[in-house]
Amino acid sequence: MIDEHEDFLERLRTDARQLRFEPDEMMSNRIAARVRERIAAESHAGIAFVLARWFRPVVASLATLALVAALGVQWLEQSPRDVPGTTLDALASTQTVDISVGGDTFSVE
Amino acid sequence: MSATSMFGGAAEGSLGFDRLVFAPKRAQTRSATNEDPIEARAIAAVKAGDAASYDYLVSKYMKRVISIAWGIVRNPADAEDLAQEAFVKAFESVGRFKSGEPFGPWIYRIVTNLALDVMKHRKRFRHEEISDAVPSERRDRADLPAIANELARRIDRGIESLPEMQRIVARLYLVEELGHSEIATMTGLSEGTVRSHLSLARGKLKEKLADLHGGSND
Repeated sequence: MIDEHEDFLERLRTDARQLRFEPDEMMSNRIAARVRERIAAESHAGIAFVLARWFRPVVASLATLALVAALGVQWLEQSPRDVPGTTLDALASTQTVDISVGGDTFSVE
Repeated sequence: MSATSMFGGAAEGSLGFDRLVFAPKRAQTRSATNEDPIEARAIAAVKAGDAASYDYLVSKYMKRVISIAWGIVRNPADAEDLAQEAFVKAFESVGRFKSGEPFGPWIYRIVTNLALDVMKHRKRFRHEEISDAVPSERRDRADLPAIANELARRIDRGIESLPEMQRIVARLYLVEELGHSEIATMTGLSEGTVRSHLSLARGKLKEKLADLHGGSND
């Protein structure tokens, strides 16, 4: 049975071979020329292409870093400064501390 | 000129079965190594940067690549574009090509994949086709090779009436005379699936061509 099936397909193959598409010479030449042209264009652009391929992401990364740094600096500059009077020095300079020793009270400014 | 005289009598009588003795089954035993020294040298040269050597590969596989593409998309203009694209794509990725292997299966796989992509695209945009009655991929029967005799034309109609994947597998097997494993590699299907498609196609073709092949489906 399997042989019969194979035989049927083999018979079909023999005749179906004629169904292959045969491009004419003009079509073949046209394709060959276009392939040649595209390959040549790629070869000429090869070095520039490789450089561009490597440099583009590097430049993009550096640009991103620069942007982040600039934004960071700006944010730091704009962030609220220490409010006067909140540091220890400031507190010490504005408030009086009373110390009592043996019934006597000393005031320290 | 009658069909008989034009096709040297192949359209009648023996139906070409006498050529069975020389059936291409034997030709299927293709080795995985490259037996064409010129081709091997050309590939090595291309890999080394000599683009001019690629001409040899293009001219050697041109006809087959176009035929495979045309068999799937059934449109000469698309087949031409696909062949061009396949050769350029193969050139671009030649660095990944394993030295010593034949170039044929590789370029056939590339062109088959591209052609299958076109078919997927067509299916997606089917509503844009010019004719509703006749799908575009089946429109180009007039482009059948001029030498195709009546029997071949009937086989062609039979193949074209099959569902898509059966049609593609049957065409690659019957017309391009590729083996199961080659078709599996080219289409991305498993070998079992290829055999299954082929078996279903065979059944349908046997029915359609019953009068030519003894009239039974046993």
